[in-house]
Amino acid sequence: MKRVWGQALAAALMLLAAGCATAPTNVVRLTGDPLVDAPNAIANGPPRDRVLWDDRLAAAAMRQGRFAQAQVALDDTLARLGAIFSADKESKKARGYFTAEAKKTFLGEPYERVMAYYYRGILYWMAGEPDNARACFRSAAFQDADAENKAYASDYVLLDYLDGLITAKLGGDGSDAFKRARAEDRLAIPPTANPKNNVLFFLDYGRGPTKYATGEYHEELRFRDGFSPALEVLIRVDEQAVDIGPYDDLNFQATTRGGRVMDHILGNKAVFKKTTDVAGDVALVGGLGTAIVSQDQTAQEVGLGIAAAGLISKIVSAATKPQADTRSWDNLPLYLSFASFQLPPGQHTATVEFLDPKRVPIPSLTKTITFTVSTDGKDKVLYVSDQSTTPQIQ
Amino acid sequence: MKAFGWKRFLSLVLPAALLLTAGCASSGVKNPSGVGVTEMNADEKGFVTGTGIESQDIVTVADQMCRGLLGIDRIANATTPPRIALDPVINETRFPINKDIFLTRMMAQLTAKSGGKVVFLARERMEALKKERDLKRAGEVTASSDPNVQEFKGADYFLTGKLQGLSTRTSRGTSDYVLYTFELIDARTSEIVWAGEHEIKRQGLEDAVYR
Repeated sequence: MKRVWGQALAAALMLLAAGCATAPTNVVRLTGDPLVDAPNAIANGPPRDRVLWDDRLAAAAMRQGRFAQAQVALDDTLARLGAIFSADKESKKARGYFTAEAKKTFLGEPYERVMAYYYRGILYWMAGEPDNARACFRSAAFQDADAENKAYASDYVLLDYLDGLITAKLGGDGSDAFKRARAEDRLAIPPTANPKNNVLFFLDYGRGPTKYATGEYHEELRFRDGFSPALEVLIRVDEQAVDIGPYDDLNFQATTRGGRVMDHILGNKAVFKKTTDVAGDVALVGGLGTAIVSQDQTAQEVGLGIAAAGLISKIVSAATKPQADTRSWDNLPLYLSFASFQLPPGQHTATVEFLDPKRVPIPSLTKTITFTVSTDGKDKVLYVSDQSTTPQIQ
Repeated sequence: MKAFGWKRFLSLVLPAALLLTAGCASSGVKNPSGVGVTEMNADEKGFVTGTGIESQDIVTVADQMCRGLLGIDRIANATTPPRIALDPVINETRFPINKDIFLTRMMAQLTAKSGGKVVFLARERMEALKKERDLKRAGEVTASSDPNVQEFKGADYFLTGKLQGLSTRTSRGTSDYVLYTFELIDARTSEIVWAGEHEIKRQGLEDAVYR
């Protein structure tokens, strides 16, 4: 009898210990600076996080005016978003009971995918390819098309507004896109687009939402609201000044997507984990109780068998991983905005002030951007964030 | 334990373990593996990695357009090879692409396979060409003919195209239709003397881990 007990215990301990036997791999030391961490993580970290780091790198590079570096990172992201139709083996495993969702290749939630396309669109426009920029803005809107509540599907004001503006600039009819943009506005109302405006400011500010998990087993994905001390932006160029508010809010976009199919899977995993845990408890207590109390040898052995099954059930429960994936593109902005000017060719300097809710400039966030409008009639596209380095030449 | 025996012990424990580990957390989810992307030409289906513009589209479209172009009377029966300039393709789809890639492939195919029936003008190299001509005019480099004579040729035709798309996305999947149209435009009269089109529709459903 003692021998059986010993064997059962030894087997259980070995099974339990096996889960901890994996040596940590792909350990990347982080500095907190995405421009340093991202190349390091992409080279030495797990491949499943590559898009996450590309995204973070792109946002950080854009704020420093390193647009070529951002372009490379975003092209990498966009190419990998194609994998969404045929997930790799590791990602498919994330549907199973014993693999956490975070083991899948990160492609981001829709609001994160939208931002990858949005930033790439800005870079295409900067490079003088407005039609490819429009393609990116359309793809960005498309990422948001599968919201549970259709009222929130493809409802980014700025994406439709930019679609309309580029269409108008290319000689087409952008009125439908402008109508959609107007219908979607919840914050600032975008002005009537002027296709002749040749200096375009893409603005973003604040800290975007991040993810966390709740529920008994952290199986429920939630979004922690981002925050911005600034609510509006005042741009001065030459004698002109434009005061604009935010057109899109990533808190809103992250939280209005609705439930995911993956949430259902994680819910099933959580139920399985709970059930196997409870069944394990019942079997262990019942089985051991029978084995101890009963005087009959057969009953004792049956009790031990039930207890062993209970132990296995507990082990299976412990191995079940219903945790939601909380990896976040954590340097996204909160607000997106846009302004345009009509300026003559030559060098200009813009001052961009971020205003608090009382419309008072926040001095630490003020940016100075020097730029040159070319004589070839191409648009000058500028990107300014409240986290941009200043002064910048673009 | 002898009476009960290992066999009986295992017969209790193993089924229990199997029962516990069997099944899948994604039960109840429609198409948990997603549905492979299907290429929906008029008469064939195939599997691709995305619903966007793929390299095989560029090959198919460019080859089809080349065959169409070479068959038109103005090229097939021209007494002197017409000169063609390329005008960038307009992209109206949701897919950012290298727009030059279609025309570049068509130009290469037509130049290689038309037997000299068409001549393309290197308009995108004009800056370098002008610089070279100016060097010749200044006498800084040699010239095999009088550099002051204007020898840059004008175009008889413009070859251009447009990519248009229609995209739908619902919980049942993503659908992308792309229409490729190319035109040969008479540079003198603005007449469209030839137009060719090709269309591709693809559908797919993302893996459940991304839905």
